[in-house]
Amino acid sequence: MRKTLVTVMAALAASLAFGQTVHLMWSGAITGPTSDAGKYYAQGVEDYCKYANEEGLTGGLKIVCEVRDDQYNNANTQRNFEEAIERGDPVFLGYSTGGTLQLKPLIEEVGMSYIPASYHIGNIDPPNNNYVFLPIVSYSEQVIAVLEYIAKEKPGAKVALAVHPSPFGRAPVEDAKKAAKELGIEIVEVQEMSKGLDYTATLKRFANEGVEYIVYQNVAGPVATMVKDAKRLGLNIKHAGAHYAGGPDLLRLAGDAAEGFIWVTSYFMPGENTKGATFVRELGTRYKRPSDTLESVHYPSGMLAAAIAIEAIRRAHEAGKPVTGDAGREAVHQALLGLTFDPGLAVGPVTYSKSDHVGVDMLRALRAEGGKFVPITEPFQSKLFRKVHYGK
Amino acid sequence: MRNPWMQTGNYRTSYRQDTTIFATYSEQLSLIVLLLSLLFLPMFLSRPQMFVVDLILVYALAVVGLNITTGYAGLISIGHAAFVGVGAYTAALLAPALPFWLTVPLGGLAAAIAGGIVGIPSLRIKHLYLAIATLAFQLIFEWGVGHSTLLQQGGAIAMPRVVFAGYKVGYKNHYYFWYYVTLVVLIVLAFAFRNLLRTKYGRALVAVRDNDRAADAMGMHPGLTKIFAFALGAFYAGVAGGLYAYLSRAVVIEDYMLNVSIELLAMSIVGGLGSMVGSFLGPAFLVLLDLNMEDFANWLKALGMSLPGVDIASAMRPLTFGLVIVLFLVFEPRGLANWWRLVRNYFKNWPFKY
Repeated sequence: MRKTLVTVMAALAASLAFGQTVHLMWSGAITGPTSDAGKYYAQGVEDYCKYANEEGLTGGLKIVCEVRDDQYNNANTQRNFEEAIERGDPVFLGYSTGGTLQLKPLIEEVGMSYIPASYHIGNIDPPNNNYVFLPIVSYSEQVIAVLEYIAKEKPGAKVALAVHPSPFGRAPVEDAKKAAKELGIEIVEVQEMSKGLDYTATLKRFANEGVEYIVYQNVAGPVATMVKDAKRLGLNIKHAGAHYAGGPDLLRLAGDAAEGFIWVTSYFMPGENTKGATFVRELGTRYKRPSDTLESVHYPSGMLAAAIAIEAIRRAHEAGKPVTGDAGREAVHQALLGLTFDPGLAVGPVTYSKSDHVGVDMLRALRAEGGKFVPITEPFQSKLFRKVHYGK
Repeated sequence: MRNPWMQTGNYRTSYRQDTTIFATYSEQLSLIVLLLSLLFLPMFLSRPQMFVVDLILVYALAVVGLNITTGYAGLISIGHAAFVGVGAYTAALLAPALPFWLTVPLGGLAAAIAGGIVGIPSLRIKHLYLAIATLAFQLIFEWGVGHSTLLQQGGAIAMPRVVFAGYKVGYKNHYYFWYYVTLVVLIVLAFAFRNLLRTKYGRALVAVRDNDRAADAMGMHPGLTKIFAFALGAFYAGVAGGLYAYLSRAVVIEDYMLNVSIELLAMSIVGGLGSMVGSFLGPAFLVLLDLNMEDFANWLKALGMSLPGVDIASAMRPLTFGLVIVLFLVFEPRGLANWWRLVRNYFKNWPFKY
């Protein structure tokens, strides 16, 4: 009798749990600055969410993903974040560097896990860093990985850093300088650049200083202008950059001037014959996305962020924990802290722990050849990043 | 005969009466009712809604400042967000050592000093040339913050939680506390400026705007008046910046960039340049318009109303923002303040037409 009662109770509980709705909000720039990346990122979040619901990857939960256009305005991000708290969302998908840095004290106070599209190391550095999780390696690690590649290709090379005039651009500069010293290469100059129409003077100066490589921590627009100017001037300078500096966006903007550009990222390329890239193409086709979405590296970036959040919610739910409200936030946070899984969207698995808030720890170097980026290394981890940033 | 409760004409017979703020008791009463309803407003709003209201109040304070410089004194400023930023960064640097009721006015003071310095070119240049000079200050501010390790190179400086008279402000009451603080500051500073306008210093602002040579001939000092206008406008902006720093829990350069200056200018134009009421209506209108357009855009998106390759839903918000400013400039350059005046006049005489 007791056994029957327990079975009935369990079935009742399961039926109540099945179909429980959990909201997941993304707040980012679909319009305004950086929307050229944000709009594809948003589509990635939306599509992975639909896919997870349709394919039963949610542990019986109904995940309602809400995409909000914050127009790259921190006040809008804060308002959206507050709405998510008020509604009892367990985790939040963010976007910009400024928005994430600004919200850190609030994130810590309410204990809501936060997964931004900004890979700024300050997001996961103290203080208030317990609840922010980067999907892939930080900008600092990306730039150091580029420098490591350059040091191998051209020992003692002279390098100029061309960074965006913002916390996003400046984030890796100090670490890059320390890494360059360790690697025996020289950072000749750090140049801030954004929205310039012509970089002839800057490039001529670089050439006079004997710069052999320009390393970009920037967005694709100004990078494209500079590589085109370098080609026009016939300069023998190589170009390399971190995640947001390169990719298909750069190829589209710079055309054949981008040929030879060295780029590091943790994501697969759209045209690649890998399981992850094929999955992204299939998903995009399934949800009738246009070709420019399928070509963008920001589309799988959005998918990865959504996949991480949904997997953590599922695990918390399957462990019998609540997944909404204050208790839900804590349960999903605990799930994230022990999360190890491979959604196949990047070149390595997602691994988080209490001391490691970086999801995918691997990246690859790629080179623009014949109008597409082709991998020139196997997935690797920066050897120097931990030493220069954490001193270990 | 003049009825102090209901007055359909101008019955002022002395200069003293002419400088009074309120013409009738009913005007005073309606303001008191408005202020009382604002006191009880938080009882009906959720936390996210409170944040929006707080934001409108902070913007209103900054726009009052911009209206002093641009609306009343006629000095175009497109670097106003930088003054807001000076106040915010000053408050952020002082916050670990001083209570908020000192850091916020000190933020205003720092911004006023910056405003006084930025105002110096106005002694020699006017109009578009002056606008470019203020733009230069905006860019210098952004560059200076971006290269200052003290200011985290534009990254976040976290603001501490505050304790006021034994009342500890935490997550739950954050927006409610700052609502009341901002409301009190806004009321005090708005009344202060309204009264200043009744003095010779206030009238000098308007006189210099209308014709600085004539003002000079009448014994005013146009140069000092212009610098005073810049400093006073910047003081209001600095106080708004200090309040915004506490409200947003951190100071980040992106909140004080050129686009914010443009937004503030748009708010003052839509509200009505040179109008106190406009300084409140402009920010409220644009912030609420944006929120409503967001809902409308989401509704369109849900209905699938979109042209191939064009994301109409996403384009709605920036498109509407631009369109509203153009329409106001073309059809109602006096802004919402003029609509407010027309509505008030209608009810003043109601039920009579004249």
